[in-house]
Amino acid sequence: MATISAYSGFGIGLRRDHYRDFIAGDVDVDFVEVISENFMVDGGRPLRVLEQVRQKLPVILHGVSMSIGSAHGLDRGHMGKLKSLVDRIEPLWVSDHLCWTRTGAHNSHDLLPLPLTRASMEIVCENIDHAQHALGRAMLFENPSSYLTFPQDEMTEWEFLTEMSRRTGCYLLLDINNVYVSACNHGFDPADYLNGIPANRVRQVHLAGHTPGDIMIDTHDRPVCEEVWRLFETARRELGDVAVMVEWDDALPSLADLLAELGRARQIAGAARAELPA
Amino acid sequence: MTQLLRAQADFVACLLDESTPLPPGWDARRAAGIAVYRNAYRARLIDVLRVTFERTARLVGEDAFVQAAAHHLITNPPASWTVDLAGEGFWEVCTDLFADDADVGEVAWLEWTMHRAFTATDAVPMTLADFASATAGFDTGQWDGLGFELIPGTALRAVSFDLVKLWATLADPLNEVEVARLAEPKWVLLWREGEMPVFGLVPLAEGLALTEILTGGSFGDVCTILSNNVEASQVPAAAGGMLRNWIEIGLIIGLRPALQPTNQANRSNDTE
Repeated sequence: MATISAYSGFGIGLRRDHYRDFIAGDVDVDFVEVISENFMVDGGRPLRVLEQVRQKLPVILHGVSMSIGSAHGLDRGHMGKLKSLVDRIEPLWVSDHLCWTRTGAHNSHDLLPLPLTRASMEIVCENIDHAQHALGRAMLFENPSSYLTFPQDEMTEWEFLTEMSRRTGCYLLLDINNVYVSACNHGFDPADYLNGIPANRVRQVHLAGHTPGDIMIDTHDRPVCEEVWRLFETARRELGDVAVMVEWDDALPSLADLLAELGRARQIAGAARAELPA
Repeated sequence: MTQLLRAQADFVACLLDESTPLPPGWDARRAAGIAVYRNAYRARLIDVLRVTFERTARLVGEDAFVQAAAHHLITNPPASWTVDLAGEGFWEVCTDLFADDADVGEVAWLEWTMHRAFTATDAVPMTLADFASATAGFDTGQWDGLGFELIPGTALRAVSFDLVKLWATLADPLNEVEVARLAEPKWVLLWREGEMPVFGLVPLAEGLALTEILTGGSFGDVCTILSNNVEASQVPAAAGGMLRNWIEIGLIIGLRPALQPTNQANRSNDTE
């Protein structure tokens, strides 16, 4: 499987409220990320907008429905539509999540947690192999935030991701907010997670806001919290130049506010780079 | 059944129904965790339905809409990989649940077909010049057998309410809703004009004629339908007028090859 070269840009999600700004081409980002499934359609305005934006910026296709953790395997219909979109858009890369979304008969449309077992590893790796073969390219997979762990877990999530990447050749999308949310929910040290991830396999970082509570929830509806910014600062020193993206899906702020949030990511990344030895 | 298949089946059972017993070994913390997933599942899908069926929600009110949406999720749990299809079957659910208010089912149908037309396959409509060129020199048999390809997303149904007015009224949540029954039943014709789905009400005969075309009927079939409504001598002009209008509004994207006239087909069978 072909390698994915490091790319050091800064981007945000392409959301409907900001279509006009992006088509006009005056948004100060290096790339945009879109939810793949929103554009895996037969035709119409969404595809036309994406093609227009693609003429101006690199696009990352970020999926939510591949369900690589599904014991039922991949959905052929989904893979066929994704391949068509990949051929049409020629994205910077294609990503999805370490999760499952469906059984044979039912789709939850949520990123559900996997038991972190050897048995799960076999199925996840088999599904990733199929997906990367079908798309003819290596993919990135993101660590999800989770709200429960399983009694039968045999390894940590970072151990699972490391092994999964080693066996399949896939790359990692490190969502630092998800690390923080899961660390709070399950009582591990986020520094252990960051230290345990193979930095050389990470190609992208996600930053987002969450809703605090007894169980923290990954809601993407508010600014990145200070703890996550600090983790990003730490991670950036280890990861070096990777693509950085601010995710904001609900209660979307103005584009200016969103870009200000991305500006903070640029500033932190710049400072971290300055600290690195020449 | 593999371990993971069983674990995922158990998880979904707990997700869909909070009365399902938790798997062995699950403590209170895990029960709280799955409650988060369960709430997120319901809230997300109800939100998806609320966005797709915005006007239906305004028509019935928030509480009734949420009840209908929850009923839909139980009776038609989503199966497709795309959440875009989560609303499939919801207009039928609304038709059943609001049987005394038939306007609800009609508005829900309209919203669903508009939703589907929005991302239908792109196509370029024929112009009058394209059509004239393609049909130049046609004889009567060719006209009778001529079929039409309609722009993807086109849909039709008979309606009893003035959906044009109702649609406009429901656009603004502050408007007082006026539900006006039509003096006589009509059909609603929905198609995509460029990037945007549009619709209008058409007379009964035109609705029947277009339905015939959507299901593979020919221009001859259209003329037969019209012959029940206008004098025989006026049928060609009436059918031609309708056809011209369909082309002008961008409904027709292509012609299907003219079929052999029925009498010729019969004759060839006779000779076998």
